[in-house]
Amino acid sequence: MATEKIARFPDPHEFKVPEELAGWEEMYPSHYIFAKERGEWESRQFWYQDKIHAPEPMPPLDLIFQEAWQISLAQYTTRVFCIPPAQGIAQRMVGCYMYICAIEPPPPEIIKEKAELFGKRVFYVFEHYNELWEKWLKKFQALGREMAALKVPQELPKYVPEDQVLPAPRGYYASYELIEVFNTLVSQMFKGWQYHFEMLNLTYLAYLMFADVARKLFPGISESAIGKMVAGAYVSMFRPEEELCRLSRLAASYPAIGKIIKRDVPAEQKIAELRKTEDGKRWLAELDKVRDPWFYVSCGSGWFYYEGSWVNKLDIPFSYMKSYVERLDKKEKIERSVEEISRKRDEIVAEYRKLIKTDEDKKSFENAYKTVRTIYRYAEDHLFWVEHWFHTIWWDKIRDIGKLFVKQGMLKEVDDIFMFNRFEVPEMIEELVTGWALGEGIPLRGSYYKEKAAKRQKILAAARKWSPIAALGIPPKEIAEPFTVMLWGITSDKVEEWLKGAAVVPEVGTKIKGFASSAGVVEGTARVLKLLEEIVTLKEGEIMVCPCSNPAWAPVFTKIKAAVTDIGGLTCHAAIVSREYSLPAVTGTGVATSVISTGDTIRVDGDTGVVTILKRAHK
Amino acid sequence: MRYTLNFDEVNKASLPAVGGKNASLGEMIAAGIRVPPGFAVTTDSYVSFIAEAGIKDEIFKLLSDINPEDIVSLNSASAEVQKLINEALMVADIEQAIREGYRCLCDKCGVQRIPVAVRSSATAEDLPTASFAGQQDTYLWIEGIDEVVRSVQKCWASLFTPRAISYRIKNNFPHEKVLISVGVQKMVNSRAAGVMFTLNPVNGDPSKVVIEGSWGLGETVVSGSVTPDKFVVDKIVMEINERTISPKNIECVYDLKKGEVVHTDVAPDMQNKPCLDDKEIKELVGIAKRIEEHYGSPQDIEWAIDKDLPFPENIFTVQSRPETVWSQRRKEPIIGKKSAYELLMEKALTSIKIRL
Repeated sequence: MATEKIARFPDPHEFKVPEELAGWEEMYPSHYIFAKERGEWESRQFWYQDKIHAPEPMPPLDLIFQEAWQISLAQYTTRVFCIPPAQGIAQRMVGCYMYICAIEPPPPEIIKEKAELFGKRVFYVFEHYNELWEKWLKKFQALGREMAALKVPQELPKYVPEDQVLPAPRGYYASYELIEVFNTLVSQMFKGWQYHFEMLNLTYLAYLMFADVARKLFPGISESAIGKMVAGAYVSMFRPEEELCRLSRLAASYPAIGKIIKRDVPAEQKIAELRKTEDGKRWLAELDKVRDPWFYVSCGSGWFYYEGSWVNKLDIPFSYMKSYVERLDKKEKIERSVEEISRKRDEIVAEYRKLIKTDEDKKSFENAYKTVRTIYRYAEDHLFWVEHWFHTIWWDKIRDIGKLFVKQGMLKEVDDIFMFNRFEVPEMIEELVTGWALGEGIPLRGSYYKEKAAKRQKILAAARKWSPIAALGIPPKEIAEPFTVMLWGITSDKVEEWLKGAAVVPEVGTKIKGFASSAGVVEGTARVLKLLEEIVTLKEGEIMVCPCSNPAWAPVFTKIKAAVTDIGGLTCHAAIVSREYSLPAVTGTGVATSVISTGDTIRVDGDTGVVTILKRAHK
Repeated sequence: MRYTLNFDEVNKASLPAVGGKNASLGEMIAAGIRVPPGFAVTTDSYVSFIAEAGIKDEIFKLLSDINPEDIVSLNSASAEVQKLINEALMVADIEQAIREGYRCLCDKCGVQRIPVAVRSSATAEDLPTASFAGQQDTYLWIEGIDEVVRSVQKCWASLFTPRAISYRIKNNFPHEKVLISVGVQKMVNSRAAGVMFTLNPVNGDPSKVVIEGSWGLGETVVSGSVTPDKFVVDKIVMEINERTISPKNIECVYDLKKGEVVHTDVAPDMQNKPCLDDKEIKELVGIAKRIEEHYGSPQDIEWAIDKDLPFPENIFTVQSRPETVWSQRRKEPIIGKKSAYELLMEKALTSIKIRL
């Protein structure tokens, strides 16, 4: 008898991770674990690995960003703007990787209620976007400045300073300050992420609406063509690079400064030399003027502590300025022409518009386009302020606490603090300040935390070697959640591909699929860059394969032949810049950096979104 | 009155004299689109021929007696009319004009007995409202003046195939009013050839150029004897959205010794290779856009890539005619006039389906 095959992935409650990962559950809060009590609901949903925000195993403290977006993203959809059939995106951890799920639609009566609220609530945002953005930026910057102003005690003093006691006792001391500062950091991070989605759900919805209109009028239109019509205003996200260009021009106009910038020495040393001359000092003063916020840009996605930012990895912006000054010496142009990009975009839109046959359709196209253009810049602007600037401030503050932990014997390395989730850190703080308050000779559980950090580092390393299963549970019949469609690109094809399953084993002929982000086909040698520091190894004409890029990587694009990323959709940085430079790009492959090795010969097909390994460098 | 006109002398206004296909070639030359050189034998030639050869009255007499429902009578009348045209002696003045035109073409190409395509170019055919394309014959690889003249006569005769006759009767086209011109055009010795549409014929998407092509001469694509490679290109952002490479196991080539077109097997390592590279695809799309722009309506274009000439001079448009299916259909709005509010509400209420 033929049995009907049900297209499904393993039940999340029965799925087993490799033994080397034993103990992974205790790294994350209990509500992140698949559990029997809610097993029936969990088994019914469809869970897939979030390769956009969490392609790597999750350091416990870095989970805070995910925790924050889980709440915020969902609430705007379900409780604030009330997108009718959509619910939120739930998260779970499995073997240090994060799995997410667009929750099934609510009952019909709820959809009806929400439709009414939606109609009432969202249009104000579209009609007043520009003023809302001004307000948003003001309040977000204020929040970031509050965070930056927080003081982490540098030490727990033997006796509190006299000015805290005389003439009158202050009433609270280092113990409380340390407790408070972490709690405040956490609250501010959550608040920042509440702001993050203030207009983002609607931005995505507007994009999908425009994409729908475009697809109805031009049935085969590619995502990248739609992206080309919509994107291009990137005010904030491209500013760091613009500032580098400006500083490079300034340096090039003073031969003495240019000479220092061009030297092959660490940034530290260049700065020390610049300090010796008046011109050098003036140039440094210019840099200091823009350092905050424009050097607060992550060298990666902004999601992981180990990525670092320009401001604390100055070698990176300085190496770019070196190459910019060299190019200026050769009379090359280093700036991107925003006008040129806008002009090209307008031309493309006008050409598509011209092809529309009836006036009615033309009008709808215009209405849809105007709406998406008004709000779309939010998708690019918020990114700099939240994921880059705000997160950079957070890392600095958390590392200050890490430093104190090391000083007090609680941890071996500053960054070990990231091995503890945000519910565990307060426990460690309490242990530390309790010991301090209790007096002299109080033993702390430092070795316990040190061992735990070491063990977790090992688990994460093991997780990095494991190729996690793409999905768990039962694929849905339909998806209404805008982020799931747009950001993660969940489509029938994708689910089908996952169902075919099996981890990718790299061999000649292996094909890796991603977004066709920038057109063109090239073959060449791959250079896999896991971290931005490795950029120095990149040779002219190679194909860059990286986890994801951002403006911190921009100067690389003049050197490479094509780009492949693990993370990022059609409007990610690599996609946008590749289109500008007419380089083929495939983004959001999920696995490129783990499957492809440096030296492999690969073919990047930016028209279809397929990367093929043609020749392996090593067997 | 002229019996022949060079392609670069004709334009849309010449349609009554040279028919749709030839007029269109003249238009393309004027618009800077590369087509193989050649000349048109005008409708005046045809009119003079049937009159001066003394077969006119007999032809229309035979035609007026037909009962279009009776296949036997239709077929026999057709055969008789065609025989009259094919066997009549060519009128001397007309022959002289064709001879002159062919000689000029040979001189231009620097080849004696240059192989040419001889095609009919009817005045009613190819009009947007009356597509009966392909009802008249085409003779390829014709060499030498005598063969050219004979083929011209065959083309004239092809105006009276049973299908053409019955079509005209059914559509109330008087036989006397349908005139025919013939085009004589250099053959492209093509490495690859095919057709392209300036919209996607599958769904009417006007932002696409769809190219179909295969190795060798274009016949395999036009006749459907090979599944061609297919490329769907966005003509605005110039992205190749789809490439379907099919096994192209046979190709049509011109056999010099036999003096005819033969089907041959394609070498195994070539069968699954794309017949066009990206550079050629983009050049073709550029040409398609120019042609569509020129005519102001979607086009169905035959193209060929010459074996011997360098890129991009090797890329020829063999012919172009209006696309008739979607051009006539798409009058209705697809979305209708909707406000941003309505569009957003619609989007917010729908979800995407996952089919497994």
